[in-house]
Amino acid sequence: MSSLNASLASALSGLIADQGALAATTNNVANVNTPGYSRQEPVLSASEPVVIGSLSFGTGVTLQSIQSITDPILESQVQQQTQAQGQYTALASALQQTETNFTASSNDIGTEISNFFDSLNQLSTDPSDLSVRQGVLTAAGNLASSFNATSASLSQQQTSLDQTVVQQVGQINQLTGQIAQLNAQVSNLQNVGESAGTFVDQRQQAIDQLSAIVDVSVIPTDNTLTLTTANGAALVSGDQSFQLQTQLNSAGLHQVYSQGNNITGSITSGQLGGTIDARDQQIPAIQTQLDTLAAGVANSVNTVQQGGFDLNGDAGTDLFNPPPASGVGAAATLSVAITNPSLVAASSDGTSGSNGNAEAMYALASQPVIAGQNPSDYYSGIVFNVGNATANAQAEQTASNLVLQQLTDQVSSVSGVSLDEEAAHMVQYQDAYSASAQVITTINDMMYAAIQMSTLTG
Amino acid sequence: MRVNPDPYPDLLNDVSHNQQQIATDEQEIASGQSVNLPSDNPAAAALLAQNASQTSQADQFERSVGNIQGEMQSADSTLNSVTSALQQAISLGVEGATGTVNSADRAALATQVQGIQSQLLSLANLSYQGNYVFGGTATQTVPYVLDSNSPSGVTYQGNSGVNTVTLGSQFSLQTNLPGSQLFSASGSSVFQSIQDLITGLQSGNGIGAAVTEVGTASNYLDEQKVFYGNSLNQLSAQQTYLSTETVQLSQQQNTEGAADLTNVISNLTTAQTSLQATLEAIGQTANTNLFQYLK
Repeated sequence: MSSLNASLASALSGLIADQGALAATTNNVANVNTPGYSRQEPVLSASEPVVIGSLSFGTGVTLQSIQSITDPILESQVQQQTQAQGQYTALASALQQTETNFTASSNDIGTEISNFFDSLNQLSTDPSDLSVRQGVLTAAGNLASSFNATSASLSQQQTSLDQTVVQQVGQINQLTGQIAQLNAQVSNLQNVGESAGTFVDQRQQAIDQLSAIVDVSVIPTDNTLTLTTANGAALVSGDQSFQLQTQLNSAGLHQVYSQGNNITGSITSGQLGGTIDARDQQIPAIQTQLDTLAAGVANSVNTVQQGGFDLNGDAGTDLFNPPPASGVGAAATLSVAITNPSLVAASSDGTSGSNGNAEAMYALASQPVIAGQNPSDYYSGIVFNVGNATANAQAEQTASNLVLQQLTDQVSSVSGVSLDEEAAHMVQYQDAYSASAQVITTINDMMYAAIQMSTLTG
Repeated sequence: MRVNPDPYPDLLNDVSHNQQQIATDEQEIASGQSVNLPSDNPAAAALLAQNASQTSQADQFERSVGNIQGEMQSADSTLNSVTSALQQAISLGVEGATGTVNSADRAALATQVQGIQSQLLSLANLSYQGNYVFGGTATQTVPYVLDSNSPSGVTYQGNSGVNTVTLGSQFSLQTNLPGSQLFSASGSSVFQSIQDLITGLQSGNGIGAAVTEVGTASNYLDEQKVFYGNSLNQLSAQQTYLSTETVQLSQQQNTEGAADLTNVISNLTTAQTSLQATLEAIGQTANTNLFQYLK
């Protein structure tokens, strides 16, 4: 047989549970704009019933926990997509800067190549004219300057990307430090059976930020998370974080080290992956093509020049200073070897009026002297390659943005705070609270009636 | 199903996407170019680079054609003068060959032919923009000098070199004939025939043969002159071709690189409308949630 006191306790549990539930709602409303916050729900359950004889009486409600509503699978997808987005954003922004060197202008390499060969055609019509000869030297100088400037601009970009690598490694170290700390806080709370929702959210937020920078694998272990790079270099284990280091290599570029191992080449995703890709692959590939072009033009022109005769009837000498035999640095260092216009070897027979060698030099414009292509076609190939790499990176960036946006929408549809929902919950808990309070008033009346009854009989 | 309660990130994304589209369209309209950066259309950018190179080449060919035309016209009209000087020498020779002419008259005629000889010398030493035109590739040396020891009365100091200039992707042209081929060719030498005529008039012997010789040289020169006539025709044909090529190149440039304004403006309008709609959506969203109805 149940007692009024038991009913009172039951009603009281309702008041307490509703207050708790309202606190969760309040917290949700307060965090409606907090990035990474997952909405919390009270977990209510009926208290263990009391069995008296053949009857089972409920004993009220228990607020078991406040639970954060998350979807770990979605979150890991968000992480992966964040890595891809970071990678392509970094790559696209680097290449967008690179491609400005290859936009059509009055002094891009393609224009200067045309101008140089045009000046040789002009020379061919009047091989002994000093001002026309000077025109050839000026055009050669402009061509060399254009190669120099473009190459320098690429090198400068590489240097600034190198600085970015160092900064990003710094950010990684800061975030892994935070995550290790949050790991400790989460496991402390969870070890004593408490909900660590807020810290878990903060940790997730930090992991998302980390994912934007580097490819992270998250391995859940008891109450904590272990983080490595996709290639297995340790970043965080429990409450310990492993700092990455940077060290200059022989080329003067910073390499990323994890516990003594150079992991630069294995970082393929995240902003750091994109930055390293641009610094170590994309820009050097363009430099190499520029070097091939510069060395090809210089060497072929020099060879023809040496086969001819200058205005004084002497054998021709190099027009361009010979580029390095390996070709490396040819674009950066290309320069004109002669300053005296009479030294241009236009003549093929030693007479001042012969244009045979100027014709031969001009013919290089349409000969496959650079990797099977003529100089202008090879240059337009570079323009295509740069444009294509940039357009691809931009397309990947746009695509990963879209996917990430969809995933974020999905995460938000699971974990986001809806003010409508919270308002409804508030009303719900408020009503339940009022009802429980009303029950207590009623029990109070009944108690009073019982006490009155005992006074009458007493 | 629970819907995403926070539409703002999506809406803001749309706003930035629309703004980006508007910026791109506006740049296209402002520049008139659809390919402002290689990544706008890599294949077109590469084609445009080649197009620029070909255009620049065609422009240079046109300039070169102009240069050579000048020199060749000058050579051609000089050779005409040579022919008429030779005709004059022939009439003088014919006059000297008639029986009514006495030795004093012949001496006077010889002096006149000597005048023609020095006229021919100066014509053969034609210089165009600082270069001797008939000296082969020895353009800085006077081709012919008087030389009393030489049977022809002159010495050729030039060479037999010829120049060829590329004036089109599939076209090159020989630009000169050396004096040795024009004025002192063996068997039909202009200078030899004139010298023989002078000697004939002075001595009274072999005037008729000398006149024939001058006639032969003149005919020969007329044949050689055809080279310049033909070349000038080829040059003006090439000029026409190059202008056509330039027009074609500029059409190609337009096709590949010019902004399709109708299209761009329509895109721009769409993007602007879409932006406006998104902004209005944001304005609407702000005012609706249940809390406002709980009083």
